[in-house]
Amino acid sequence: MTVPAHVDPLQAEAITIEERSPFQVVMRRFVRHRLAMVSMAVMFVIFGITILAPVIAPFKFDDLRVGDYFLPFGSVDQATGNTHYMGTDNIGRDYFSRLIYAGRISLTVAMLSVLISEVLGILVGSVSGFYGGWVDALLMRFVEFMLTIPTLPLLLIISSMLLRNEDLIPIPEPVLKFVGNLMLLGPKDARNAVLIVIVLAGFGWLSSAQLMRGTVLSLREQTFVEASRSLGATDIWIILKHMIPNAMAPIIVDASLGLAGYVVAEAALAFLGFGIQDPIPTWGNMLSATQQYMFDKPWLPLVPGLPIFVCSLAFNYIGDGLRDALDPRLKL
Amino acid sequence: MTAYLIRRVLQGLLVILISAVATYVMLSFAPGGPMAGLRQTQQGNRVRITEEDIARIRASFELDLTVPIRFSRWLIGAPTGPLVIGGKEYFADMVVGCRKPLEAEVLNSSGKYETVTVGCKEVVYLKDIVGRRTSRGILFGDFGLSWKILRDRPVSTLLESRLSKTLQLIGLETILSLLIGIPLGIYSAVKQYSTFDYIFTTLAFMGSAMPSFFFGLLLILLFSILPKSAGFMYIPAGLSESVRDYVIPVIGKVVAGSAKDRTLHLILPVTVLTLINIAGWSRFIRASMLDVLRQDYVRTARAKGLSQNVVILKHALRNALIPFVTIVVFTIPGLFSGAIITESIFAWPGMGRLYIIALSEYDYPVAMAIFFILAVLTVIATLLRDVLYTIVDPRIRLS
Repeated sequence: MTVPAHVDPLQAEAITIEERSPFQVVMRRFVRHRLAMVSMAVMFVIFGITILAPVIAPFKFDDLRVGDYFLPFGSVDQATGNTHYMGTDNIGRDYFSRLIYAGRISLTVAMLSVLISEVLGILVGSVSGFYGGWVDALLMRFVEFMLTIPTLPLLLIISSMLLRNEDLIPIPEPVLKFVGNLMLLGPKDARNAVLIVIVLAGFGWLSSAQLMRGTVLSLREQTFVEASRSLGATDIWIILKHMIPNAMAPIIVDASLGLAGYVVAEAALAFLGFGIQDPIPTWGNMLSATQQYMFDKPWLPLVPGLPIFVCSLAFNYIGDGLRDALDPRLKL
Repeated sequence: MTAYLIRRVLQGLLVILISAVATYVMLSFAPGGPMAGLRQTQQGNRVRITEEDIARIRASFELDLTVPIRFSRWLIGAPTGPLVIGGKEYFADMVVGCRKPLEAEVLNSSGKYETVTVGCKEVVYLKDIVGRRTSRGILFGDFGLSWKILRDRPVSTLLESRLSKTLQLIGLETILSLLIGIPLGIYSAVKQYSTFDYIFTTLAFMGSAMPSFFFGLLLILLFSILPKSAGFMYIPAGLSESVRDYVIPVIGKVVAGSAKDRTLHLILPVTVLTLINIAGWSRFIRASMLDVLRQDYVRTARAKGLSQNVVILKHALRNALIPFVTIVVFTIPGLFSGAIITESIFAWPGMGRLYIIALSEYDYPVAMAIFFILAVLTVIATLLRDVLYTIVDPRIRLS
């Protein structure tokens, strides 16, 4: 007579470690990057303020008070009883209100530029890398050609032409309305901002396309692509379902570093007088305007200058943190 | 190699040509220019300018010629008149422009009337432009005449004085960045995870995130405006030399235009450019040094009993500098672009600032000349970078 052996069922949890999704793994690594977390918090606050701009701002950004020039911090407006937290500028506009509206405009310009340039870059880069051959040669020669032209001088020429000849590029009314709503501007002012986005993104997509192409080139040779193809997947399916999702890691890092770049680039154009023009406030043109008055009011350049620096630094740290989290091998 | 070089040079020429065409066309469609002010005085009826005057002025700026003809005259100095072969003139009756445009008031989409050119009353034939003054063409070193900044004087005289000022900035910047940046990067890599490394990487990170225009303004505030108003020693900012003599505490009297004056004015702009450059370059050196220090041959060198200095300077540094050489070459045209912003902050009378002034004052021949020079420099630097790649690193083959 045999006694049936009793075997305890294996406790899966006892052996394997807690299961984590790739997203959780990345998040845990990202959270460990302390400066990136601080930057996230800072950007959260800045975004919060700019989203609530119409609620927080005591004045409209283009409200001018004749005679109330360069009022000191915290002076109270007689007519409305609202406080000028940061005083007024050279033509009597509330500085604090302009600053937060400017933040909304500058950050929206940066985000739209990143969005457009990354989408364009992903499309061109994946088509170029996936198909290879003459398509690749044609697209990449074009990208290389554009990258050999000195960028800043060309940006200046293009924006000086577009800004003086606003009707040159027809922009559909709904786009202007949409961007205007994002930036709290009328459609006419929004045209100026849209033109700058076009100029910035028109050059920004080049490097994203190169990045995407490189990633797709290595992905194309992977076995799962072969498997997918043997199951009868079409090219478009493979690109959308396998290439783009798998290439997202470097693109996300590129995008967050791109945000920093675009905030600075927009400000630089405005600073040189070829960006978004006064009376629409941006950090760049506000900083440019302070140059005339900094001899008497030395703190003035800090007010619009610090946000530019803080945003640039924060986006850089976030990009750094994301790079560490998404691809530890890339760490320098 | 030769075939590759020839192909690259041809490609480079094509890039220069296409970008020159593109920017020339863009600028010729940009509004403004020498005629804008005239129209206003004419509309105000204060000065009577006849149609003939306008035609004459248009002709003196070549604005009566079509864009392709103008571009070709700008680029290679031709055509100057009908083609003469064996004493016979060809293409003499070819229309090359419009002397008196036909204008009409048209209601535009935003409900305003605007003047639009609808036709041509009097055309210019190729035989008409014989004897007109023309440049010998930018390809042959003649940049044409300035429209506004130095009216009717050659752009090249304008460029000569400005170029040396920009080269001063960029030369000093490059030398200082190399002298400071390379040792910093090496030291930081060798002492990885030390306090120095930590502080260095943080500062370098901040430096590369710092916009140069804000950094420049901060330096002017900290070293020029604030100490000056407090009565301390300060560094003068703005222009490349001062107009009249001035006295700085501690340093004493400075004579305008003297060597001392010019050196003092160099300090701040060079500091801005150098610090931002160092942030990028030394980070790169550190990364490539760290990469090399992990290699087996470095361990071998250490195992042989070589001293730390020999290992680092002879074995590691040489290889770490390979990628750096190409970076340095390639950033040189970028330095000119970087100088555009820095020169604007410090009102430094260099090429970058001239470019900004030319664009905002509609002096398009000057702007085109500078753009052309920058495009040529960039193309040369790109070519040089790729060739240097193979020279410093034999593992890379050109194809």
